[in-house]
Amino acid sequence: MSLILCATRGGEASYRTQQAAIALAKEHGDEIVFLYIIDLSFLNKTAAPIVVNIENELDQMGRFFLLMAKERASEQGVEVRTITRNGIVQEEIINAVIEEGATLVVLGRPAGEQSAFQTSSLQAFADEIKRVTEAETILV
Amino acid sequence: MDGIAVLISAGIFILVFLAISFHLLHETAATLLGAVAVLLVTYIGGHYNPDLRLLTFDDAMMVVDWNVIFLIMGMMIFMSILDETNVFKWLAFRLYSVAKGNAWIIALSLILLTGITSAFLNDVTAILMLVPLSIQMASAIGLNPMVIVIPEVLASNIGGAATLIGDPPSTIVGSHIGISFSDYLVNMAPVAIICMIALLVVHWFQYRKDYGDATRKVSKTLTDQLASDAKIGDYVSLRKALVVALFTFVGFFVADIFDQMPVGVVALSGAAFLTVWVKPDMHRMIREVNWTTLLFFIGLFIVVGGMEATGAIEWLASQVILLAGDSLHRAAVLITWVAGIASGIVANIPFTIAALPVADYLTANIPGGTESRIIYWALILGADFGGNATYLGSAPNIVAVGLLAQAGFRLSFSRFVRDGVPVTVLTLIIATIYLLIRY
Repeated sequence: MSLILCATRGGEASYRTQQAAIALAKEHGDEIVFLYIIDLSFLNKTAAPIVVNIENELDQMGRFFLLMAKERASEQGVEVRTITRNGIVQEEIINAVIEEGATLVVLGRPAGEQSAFQTSSLQAFADEIKRVTEAETILV
Repeated sequence: MDGIAVLISAGIFILVFLAISFHLLHETAATLLGAVAVLLVTYIGGHYNPDLRLLTFDDAMMVVDWNVIFLIMGMMIFMSILDETNVFKWLAFRLYSVAKGNAWIIALSLILLTGITSAFLNDVTAILMLVPLSIQMASAIGLNPMVIVIPEVLASNIGGAATLIGDPPSTIVGSHIGISFSDYLVNMAPVAIICMIALLVVHWFQYRKDYGDATRKVSKTLTDQLASDAKIGDYVSLRKALVVALFTFVGFFVADIFDQMPVGVVALSGAAFLTVWVKPDMHRMIREVNWTTLLFFIGLFIVVGGMEATGAIEWLASQVILLAGDSLHRAAVLITWVAGIASGIVANIPFTIAALPVADYLTANIPGGTESRIIYWALILGADFGGNATYLGSAPNIVAVGLLAQAGFRLSFSRFVRDGVPVTVLTLIIATIYLLIRY
């Protein structure tokens, strides 16, 4: 049994990616890990006072989205694990692939306003994952 | 006024302004670099050519508005203790529960809560506290989170205009003219309330179909998760924080009686009492005071101070007075709209600090200006409401864009403009009518 790592956030575009990972897991009997990454680098754009524990807020938001993904998988008879990580998205996906021992990564293609990646950089990132971890990447 | 000094001081300001507005450098790095440039030109350039003495170190310390710095510092300590109690999320979840899944009532509650929180804490803090939860609630009920988050951002900028401590332009201008908390509230809260109502009406017409379509039933597991994240963290600290908050807000209202005590002193006193009473980890507390924010303001005051000392701003103000003539109302309308349009394109904090000496000049030189203070009100309303036009305008907008991206929603410039510009134009029209009728 192999392990599929699916990097996800919220929104309709993420549901499509999650659904692809769930379908693959059902087909091959693989295990799925849904991953949410907290990236606070956007706060570097402003000098506004950041006194709120924003890492905690985003961790809660991430866990909520993962719970939604878990419910969606469970409705289709697939049990999944979920993890959250903190850092730069690309770096943390690669770190998670290595630590979890994933053999397949599922990523969402840019869909209008709702993607963390640009189309041009996504294939290059998939190649980088393959080079560093030997895991294959499917772009949904 | 010497030509070369004017050019250099204005050049430094423009470079800092562009670096901040287009995110070429971190805002604090840009203003610190600008402040250092002003001082180095003064001391090294001035050594060879006395005309290059822009602003001495002693003068630089004088141009920093320490009331603004201490007010922001005090409120930061206050907010970080209040944030740990989780009270605002608790309140948001209560409102969500009462709405029983009605998307419009949930949105209405969150937008109003954001506006009110912005008025009494700070606009960015309100966004950071409430937007992640709003995104979760919207996702749970099947509503695109942008439908709630964009009006929350607009509400934070409008609500922040209601009090002296809400939006940075309000704090900067209010502190500069030495107005009391209650005087500010009496003058600005009515127009902020009218504009908040206008925002809700416009928003309803824009998104009523989305609210009608959002009928997804939220599972018990998801509801339990929301409830668990919105629990009050520490009841003892909450009670203490609320008691001190009450006294601090009373202090804001009565400070004027005591030899016009600056609001910065009141905020710092509240924060000091709270740290003594709640006994937080002081090392952590000091770490949580956002020094980048304070250094940003100090640097910006020095850069603008350099421009003021060389006479560059006086020249600019004299050009504005040529356009306005002797009419106070014409000058107020001009300032409202110039500040409004400029704040949509570039960051509203540096704009406000640079425009303040212009407002001083107009107030002093147009008959009736000193008594009515209309030029200052125009600057506040223009800068606060204008910041809603694009996501470049003010800090809450930038933070909300980042939070939405974390949830997987890329809020494009054009999408923000589509919602922001109509509300900005409408609120600026309301502000103009209010100023002309009231003053």
